[in-house]
Amino acid sequence: MSTVANEIQMVVKEKRPLSLKIVLKNQWFLYTVSIVAFFLVWDYAATTDVLKGGLARPYQVLLQSISMITDRLAGLSLWGHIWASTQRILIGFAVAAVVAVPLGLLMALNPYINAVVKPVFDLFKPMPPIAWISISILWFGIGETSKVFIIVIGTFVPCLLNSYNGVRLIEPQLYDVVRVLGGNRRDEILQVCFPAAFPAIFAGLQISLSIAWTCVLAAELVSSRSGLGFIIFQGMTLSKPAMVLSGMILIALVAWLTTLLVTGLEKLLCPWKREVVGL
Amino acid sequence: MGEKSEYKIVCENISKTFIQKGTQQVHVLEDISVSVKENEFVVILGPGQSGKSTLLRIIAGLETPTTGRVILDGQEVSGPGPDRGLVFQSYMLFPWKTVLGNVEIGPKLRGVPKEERRETAQHYINLVGLDGFEKHYPHQLSGGMKQRVGIARAYANQPEVMLLDEPFGQLDAQTRYFMEKEIVRIWEAEKRTVLFVTNNIDEAIYVGDRIISLKGKLPGKMHEVYKVELPRPREHTDMKFLQLRHEITEASELTL
Repeated sequence: MSTVANEIQMVVKEKRPLSLKIVLKNQWFLYTVSIVAFFLVWDYAATTDVLKGGLARPYQVLLQSISMITDRLAGLSLWGHIWASTQRILIGFAVAAVVAVPLGLLMALNPYINAVVKPVFDLFKPMPPIAWISISILWFGIGETSKVFIIVIGTFVPCLLNSYNGVRLIEPQLYDVVRVLGGNRRDEILQVCFPAAFPAIFAGLQISLSIAWTCVLAAELVSSRSGLGFIIFQGMTLSKPAMVLSGMILIALVAWLTTLLVTGLEKLLCPWKREVVGL
Repeated sequence: MGEKSEYKIVCENISKTFIQKGTQQVHVLEDISVSVKENEFVVILGPGQSGKSTLLRIIAGLETPTTGRVILDGQEVSGPGPDRGLVFQSYMLFPWKTVLGNVEIGPKLRGVPKEERRETAQHYINLVGLDGFEKHYPHQLSGGMKQRVGIARAYANQPEVMLLDEPFGQLDAQTRYFMEKEIVRIWEAEKRTVLFVTNNIDEAIYVGDRIISLKGKLPGKMHEVYKVELPRPREHTDMKFLQLRHEITEASELTL
C-alpha cells in the first residue's frame, strides 16, 4: 500500500514544472518573504528616523548584543545578566511549584483543606503580581529576595489553579475502574489522580513560566543592578535604543528557551500526551 | 436458601431512587429480580432511560440499592470487589498506560508479582486478539480495539462474573457485529457468568442465553424474559432468530 502511494507521489512530483505560481504558493518561501520584509521595514524606519532617534537599525542591535558579551555592564558580562534573570526565575518558579502544586492537589482531594484555603486564595487571585512590587521592596529591600518574591506570587496562582482543576476535572468513572478491580482510596489517588492531573499541572507550569518572565522584568526595571531588565533600563537612561532593543530580544529568546525546556520535560514524562495535544 | 446452589447471582426486589438537588426524587429502578446461573450469558435489554446501567452498577457494588439486595455465591454484596469485572461503554482506559499496562492493572492492584501478572495480562491480550499491540497507547487504537483492551482488563483480574455495560454502544455498525462475534468467542474460550446490558435487540439475541427485557421510561421495571435456544454460532438471518426478534420488537414497542 505505502509503496504504491510513494510511487504515485513521485510521478506527480516529476510531472510538475517549477513555475512561478508554485514558488509563490510555497509556504517556506512565504515565511522568508515575511521575515525579510519585516527587517527591511524596520531598517527603513530606522534610517529615515521616523521615531526621532528612538529606533536602532537591526545590525546595530546585533552589534550591541555582541559587544555586551565582552564589555561589562555594571560589572557583569551579557552571560552574567542572562544568568541573573534566569536564576531569579528558577528559584521563584521552583518555590511556587513545590508549594502550589501539592497544595492544589490537596485542595482538590480534601474538602476541608479546600474550605480553609480557597477563600483566602480567591481573595489574592485577581491581584496582578506586579502590584506587589512596592510592598515587597518595603518588606525585603531591593535585593534578590524581593524579586524572587514577586515571581513566587505571580506563578503561585496558575500552578495551584491548574493542579486543582486537573484533579477536579478527572472523569469520575476512572475511579470506578480502580474500585471495581479491587483498589482502595490510595490506589485511586496514585493510579488515577496523579497521572490524570499531570498534563494540567504541566500546562500550569508553562503559563507560570511566561508570567515569571513578566514578573522578573518588571522587578528588574524598578530596582536592579543586574539582569536583562537592567540592560533595558540602562539602555533607556543612556538613551541607547540599540541596548533597549537587544535586551528585549534577548528576553524573548531566553524565555522561549526555558519554555522549550518545560515542553521537553513534559514530553519525556507524559509520552501519552504527545499525539493528543499535537504540540 | 435453596437458591444458593443453583444461582451465581441473585438480585432480590431491587429498587433505586436517586435524590437530586437535595429533595427531588428520581425513581430509576422498581422491583427488579434477576437470577443468573453459573456461566450463563444473560442480557439485560432495555431502551434508553430504563435504568439498566444503574442495575449493573448496583451489581458491581458501585451503587447501593434503595431496597432489595444483590447476592453473589450466597453472600450479600456490600461494595465493589475483584470477583466482579466491569466493562464500560466509553472504555475508560488509562490514557497514560500502554495496552499491557492497562490490562495488568487489576492484578497489580492486588499485589500479584510482576512476572505473574505480565503472564496473565499477555494471556488475555492474546485472547482478545491484540497480540503485537502491547506497547501501544489507547489513543493509537480504534474503538473496537479499545474495547478489546477493556474486556482483557476485566478478564485479567480473574473475576467470576463479567458485567458489560453497553460495551459496543460507541462502535460503528460493522465493528459492532464483529465484536458481538468476538465476545461470544471469548466467552466460549473462557466461560464466566455474564451480565450484558444493551439497548439493541439484534445484539441481545445474538449473544445471550437469556434476555431479560426492561420497561422504560423511568423507573425501569421487569417486562419479559426470553430464552434464546438457538445453537451457536448464530445467524442474524436464521428463521428462528427473526421470529424471536419479531416477538421482542412487538412486545417492547408496547412499552415505549
